[in-house]
This record gives sequence, structure tokens and C-alpha cells, in this order.
Amino acid sequence: MRAGTISVTDLQVTFRSRQGSVAALAQLTLHVRAGELACIVGPSGCGKTTLLRVLAGLQTADAGQAHVQATDPARPTTGMVFQNGGVFPWYTVAENVGYGLQMRGFTPAQRAPLVRRWLAEIGLERFATAYPAQLSGGMLQRVGLARAFAYDPAVLLMDEPFAALDAQNRLLLQQTLLRQWEGDGRTVLFVTHGIDEALTLGDRVYVMSARPGRIIATVDVPFERPRDAAALRSDPRFGALYGEIWSVLRDEVARARTAELAEAGV
Amino acid sequence: MIPRDRALSLLSPIALLLAWEGAVALGWLNRIFYPPPSEVLVTLADLAASGQLARDVGISLLRVIAGFLLGAVPAIAIGILMGIAAPVRAAVRPLAAAIYPIPKIALLPLIIVSLGIGEASKIATIAVSVFFLVVLNVAASVMQVDPRAFEVARSFGARARELFWTVALPGSMPGIMASIKLGVGYALTLIVGIEFVGANDGIGRLIWQSYEVYAIDRMVAALIAVALIGWLATVALDEAEYVLVPWQATSVRIRETRMQHYARTWWRAMRPWSYTAAIVPVLLGSGIAAAAGTVDLWLLLLTLIGSVAIQGGTNLVNDYYDYQKGTDQPGSIGTGDALLQGALTPRQVLIGGIAAFGVGASIGLYLVSVSGPLILWIGIISVAVGFFYTAGPFALAYHGLGELAVFIFMGPMIVVGAYYVQRRDAPLGVILAALPVGLLVAAILHANNLRDLDGDRRSGKRTLATILGREGARIELYALLIGAYVALVALVAAGVAPWPTLLGLLTLPVAVRLMRIAAAESEPGRLQPIVPLAAQLHLQTGVLMVAGWLLALVLPRT
Ligand SMILES: Nc1ncnc2c1ncn2[C@@H]1O[C@H](COP(=O)(O)OP(=O)(O)OP(=O)(O)O)[C@@H](O)[C@H]1O
Ligand SMILES: [Mg+2]
Repeated sequence: MRAGTISVTDLQVTFRSRQGSVAALAQLTLHVRAGELACIVGPSGCGKTTLLRVLAGLQTADAGQAHVQATDPARPTTGMVFQNGGVFPWYTVAENVGYGLQMRGFTPAQRAPLVRRWLAEIGLERFATAYPAQLSGGMLQRVGLARAFAYDPAVLLMDEPFAALDAQNRLLLQQTLLRQWEGDGRTVLFVTHGIDEALTLGDRVYVMSARPGRIIATVDVPFERPRDAAALRSDPRFGALYGEIWSVLRDEVARARTAELAEAGV
Repeated sequence: MIPRDRALSLLSPIALLLAWEGAVALGWLNRIFYPPPSEVLVTLADLAASGQLARDVGISLLRVIAGFLLGAVPAIAIGILMGIAAPVRAAVRPLAAAIYPIPKIALLPLIIVSLGIGEASKIATIAVSVFFLVVLNVAASVMQVDPRAFEVARSFGARARELFWTVALPGSMPGIMASIKLGVGYALTLIVGIEFVGANDGIGRLIWQSYEVYAIDRMVAALIAVALIGWLATVALDEAEYVLVPWQATSVRIRETRMQHYARTWWRAMRPWSYTAAIVPVLLGSGIAAAAGTVDLWLLLLTLIGSVAIQGGTNLVNDYYDYQKGTDQPGSIGTGDALLQGALTPRQVLIGGIAAFGVGASIGLYLVSVSGPLILWIGIISVAVGFFYTAGPFALAYHGLGELAVFIFMGPMIVVGAYYVQRRDAPLGVILAALPVGLLVAAILHANNLRDLDGDRRSGKRTLATILGREGARIELYALLIGAYVALVALVAAGVAPWPTLLGLLTLPVAVRLMRIAAAESEPGRLQPIVPLAAQLHLQTGVLMVAGWLLALVLPRT
């Protein structure tokens, strides 16, 4: 079994600094079943990245529980695609893609075929020996994606992985993600700003409130799989769900903006 | 550069030199204080022809290199520790910050008081100066590494050890490289000043002496030599930067000229990473000589160059004959890259090899003239063995004699030679003291043969490994490694080597790692690490033993 489960209960994270404290997450509860592709949408700064960081073990919680459970001991529990790509400038594209495998103890000979496969998947075979400084922002994002996939975790945490991509590449990579996920049934938690992207990919969409973030709505996505990203847009249910999510989100985005302005002292 | 600019940048210095020449000829400038360029050029040629220039430049360079390494290596290690660990930072920083701003030349008298006026005080002054400069810069560059990179690594399960090797070290490499450049520049300025004060040789001394007798032409000639050293150092450091920080140098690399490409191809063809095998025994022989009395840096430098030249020649000639005999096939690991990739023609490689032997032979003849006939014999036999290693009807390497030849010639033979050059004597103790490095250098070759066992069998190359079979070859590898350590301990127990040479035992963990891999694997790709590990073992153990001999000079005997 590849998939893992995520269960988060009453999670609270507060950042403290000399300027004061910022409550990023409060009373956040969320459950993702094994093999589910769950999407999160929420206003900017509401704590989405923070949630993923807690799940990846990079940030400790101040209160509440966050558990990721995986059954396969041979596989890493979580792997993350970072919002900015998080590519190491000192490694070549191929070395970056193989990094997770290297950390899992794969020898260079064992890594090579997997790295080749993932480079082909993201269309960067010809850049295998290039350094990140020679790549565009969208290409870097793809490298970060391939690195996480090659790592092959039970739960994949994806932080706006397609945000820096052009529309065509985004469509292609959405299809790649769907194909992979349909094939391996991995659990995916996918953060995005795009409601349409969440509806295209997800089994379920969680809507987060303005900071401090918590889940304020859960929307099940009924479209059958395998999905065709282009055809979905003309489905009448698509527009209805879009409207439902936006009506919840709109108020939160407005609240987040007011709060930002207040903090900036305007 | 557009042609006009290029012409201008060439013409302006020429115009200046011509004006100078003309001004002296017309009597506007005093010939004694402002010797014309033509006179300086003649003086420079004279200095070069008499060998004095090479000697002084060589000695200054050795002092700079020794002082730089002694200062920079610990500085980099401690600087990285400071960057990572707050307690180390807290302990070292106030000290370093207090000493850092002192102009280090001011410390020279203090250092002379404790170390005497010899080489040690000069090298130590450079080492101390470079240390404080580099340690603070390295610490700062480690702390500037993007914290998000650490987070990414941790998300892939990296722990302290991996965080260090895959994030902290590469992330701070550009800063470390910048500190190294600063340090080298500093060391170069310093050496001239140090040699003004208390030296009998070196380029600084040459300048000062010329000033004392008002030989301004010689002074300017020496200054030109100093400028040349500076330029060479810049070129070498840029090359090092390309190797160590390739992700920053890529843009530079694209603009590489044909000349640079040619130089790099030759450099690779000569397999410079194998030179430690030629350098370590020379250092050991000279170190033993130093422990027995004094060491002449000029002779040491020549011995090093000669030894490296013969090794380089051997590499090239072997590549040529291996290629002709078809042992190296495209895709085989390691050897003869430049030939296999078609970067050089076989003929070019052979000529290059013979030229390198020629350099080695000329230096050897000079050393014979200043030391004695033993060097002649060592030289002749070394070149012959190097050449016939894979060449001729009885190629040593193809009759299972490779290890033995390497053991004798890269072990006791060079060590004794280097000692003899310094002290005109070849006592039995020196031959014995060379045993550990001889065994370890044979282990490098044997690791190579163990890795290539199956391929060599197929092409009919008879190495000791193919003769002994896999099990036998493994046992031989263990015997060489364990033998080296047993010899080391026995030498100390018998009183032949001083007790600090036991420092060499510090490399035991590397030997264990090597033997583990050799025991577990038999496929060439997986065995590959044993070759660099063996080379590392030889280098580290050898350097630690040299350090042991030198330490014996200052530490009390027990
Ligand atoms: N290390 C930190 N120290 C202090 N405050 C932080 C830290 N990380 C995040 N925050 C704050 O926590 C809040 C949530 O940040 P987070 O990055 O999780 O938002 P986000 O939902 O991912 O936003 P976006 O959609 O813009 O990426 C923000 O107000 C941010 O300023
Ligand atoms: Mg974010």
C-alpha cells in the first residue's frame, strides 16, 4: 500500500518574534483518506504553507495534533513540493531530481534510471546537466516537482506547484499529476490559489479562512475519473461548484486584506 | 572587445615603454634610477638564464604555498564549524576579531623569537595571517546560506551529516572560494615583506638586495617576476573556482578560449589527481631529512617537479600503449579519458609523455650535479620502469609485476632519492621508513586492478589480480593495507620512526571502509569507490606521517 492518511485535529501554530506574535493556524481540523487527492484553497497568508510545513515535520505545533500515517516502512512518509521550487542552486538539474533518492540511500547507479524517467516526464531531459541559474522560473518549479515525485513518498504535499507556470505547461503538468496519481493511488494534499485547478484535480476541496487559518468549508467534487481537464469546464456542475467555493472565499479574501492593511498601519 | 579597443589596450603600454626608453636615451631620466625597459629585459634574461630567478621565485612560492595551506586548511574547517555551531562561534570569534586587524608582518619578530630565523618563522607568519583572514570570512559565508535550503533538505530526510555535505558546504563554497582568493593575495604581499627582513633567498630578498647595491634594473626585473606570480596565482585560482563552484562559473566557462581548452585537455590527460602518489613520497623523504637536520627548499621543489614529471610522463605513455593494445575501450572506467574521447591524438599523447620524461630527466641531471650519482641511477631506472610499464615486449603491468614495480619505485626508491638529494646519504632507516607509503601506493594500483578484474581477463591483461583470482586479489588488498599499518607500528616500536608518526593510524577508519566495500562487491561500478578511497588513504596517511616526522622536531622524545 502506497497511500498514507493525514489527520489534523485542532492544530494551532503561532509565530513569535520581537515585533509580536502572529497566529498562523488556529483550531484547524482536517482529515485526508488514503489515496485521496485533497485540495486546499485560501486567501494569501492564511497559513497554507504553514500547515504543509507542520505535516512535513519542519514546524512544530503549539497545540493540537497533526499525524501523517503511512504503512509502508520502505517508503518515506511525506515529500514536499515547495512554493518557490526550493531547487538547490549548487546541484545540476539531474542532481536535484535525484536528491530525495540520494537521501533515501540510493546509489548513483540506482538513481540514474529514475532521474531520467522524471526528467522526461517534465520535459527537461536536455537540461539534465544544466545548473538552476540557467533555467527559467517555470522550469525550476518543474524540477522541484520531479524531485518530489522521484522521492516517492506515501503522502505528497504540494504547495502551489503550478503557480509559476504558463497556462500550457500548467495543463500538461496537471495531466501528468492526474495520470501519476490515478496510477499509484498516492495521497496528495495540494495547495492552490486557483478554484478551477482545485476542482479539476481534487476529490475534495477544503476552503481555509483568513488568518488564523482553519477549515471553513469542505466541498466534495463529484466528477468521475479519469478526468479530462479541458472537458470539465463545460460541465454545468463545474460552474455551480466554482460559485459555491468563491462565495465562501470572497469574504475571507476581503477580511485578509483589511487585516493586512491594519497591520501595515494604514 | 572591438578591434579598435583591443589595439588601444595593446598600444598604450607599448607607448609608455617607448616613452620611457626615449626619455632615458635623451638624458631626461637618470639611467641609474630609471633603467630603460631594454636594460631591464636583458637583466631579466640574465637572471633567468643563470637559474637565480627560478630559484628565488620557486623558494618564495613554496613558502607561500606551505604557509597558505597551513593557515587556510584549519581556517576553513574551523570557520565552517563556527558558522554551524554557535558555541564554537562564541569561543573563537572574539579572539579572531581581536587579532585580525593587526598587520601580521608586525608579528614576524615575535614569531622569530619563538621559532628562530629559519623557514619555520616565515611559513608560520604567512600561516597565521592567512588563518585569521580566512576563518572569519568562511564563518560569515556559512551563516549566509539560505535557511530555506536547509528546510528543503530536511523535508527529504536529510540529517546533520547530510545537511552539512549537501547544503552547508556547497552553499558556502562561493564565499569560501572568495576567502581563499583573498588569502592567497594576502600571502603573496606578505612574503615579499617577510623576505625583505630576514631571508637569504626568495624574490623579496632579491628585490631588497638589488636596492642595497642600487641595481635598479635587477629590482625592476624581480618586480616583473612578482607580477607574473600574481598573474599565475589568479589563473590557478580561477581554475580552482571552476572545479569547486561550477554552478557559478558556468557563464565564465562558455566564454572559454581555444587556448584554455587546450591547456585543460592536457591537464586532464596527465591525470593530475594521481600526482599525490608522486608527491607524498618526496615529502616523506624530505621530511625525514628535515628531522635529521635541515632541508633545502629549492632542492625540494626540484625533486617534486621531477617526480611529478616522471609520473605524468608515465601516465601519458601508458595511455598511449594501453590504447594501442586495446585494453582501454570506450566506456571503461578511469583511464585515458582524453584519448578515448578523441580530444588528443595518440601521437600527441606519446610526444607529450616523452616531453614530460625529458623535463624529469633534465631536473634529475641537475640534481645529480648537486648531490651525487645515486640520483642518476634512481632517475634512469625510474624512467625506464615508467616507460616499460605498459610498453615494449615485456610490459611489466601485463605480467603481474605492476604492484611490485609501483611499490619499489613509488615507495622506498623516491623516498630515499628525496632524502639523498638533501643529505647525500641513503641510510637503511629511510628505506624502512618508506614501507608504509610503498604498501599503500601499491594498494592504489591493486584496487584499480581488482575493480577491472573481469575486463582485464577478457582482454588478456595479466595483472596480479587476474593471476590470483578474485578471492586471492581481495586477500592481497587486505594484506597491503594491514601491512602498511603493521609496518608503521613496527617502525615506531623499533625506534626507526619517531612516535608522532603514529598519527598515520588516524586513517584506519578509511581503510576499514575500503576493505568492507572490497569484501562485499564484485561488480566494477560498485567497486569503483575503492580506487579513490585507496588514493585518499595513501595521501592522508603519508601526509600525517610527514607531519609526524616534523612534529618530532619540536615535541619531546619518549
Ligand atoms: N517563520 C515565520 N516567522 C514569522 N511569521 C511567519 C513565518 N512563516 C509564516 N509566517 C506568517 O504566518 C502567516 C501564514 O504564512 P503562510 O506562509 O503559511 O501563508 P500561505 O497561506 O502559504 O500564504 P501564500 O498563499 O501567500 O503562500 C503569514 O502571516 C506569515 O507572515
Ligand atoms: Mg504559501
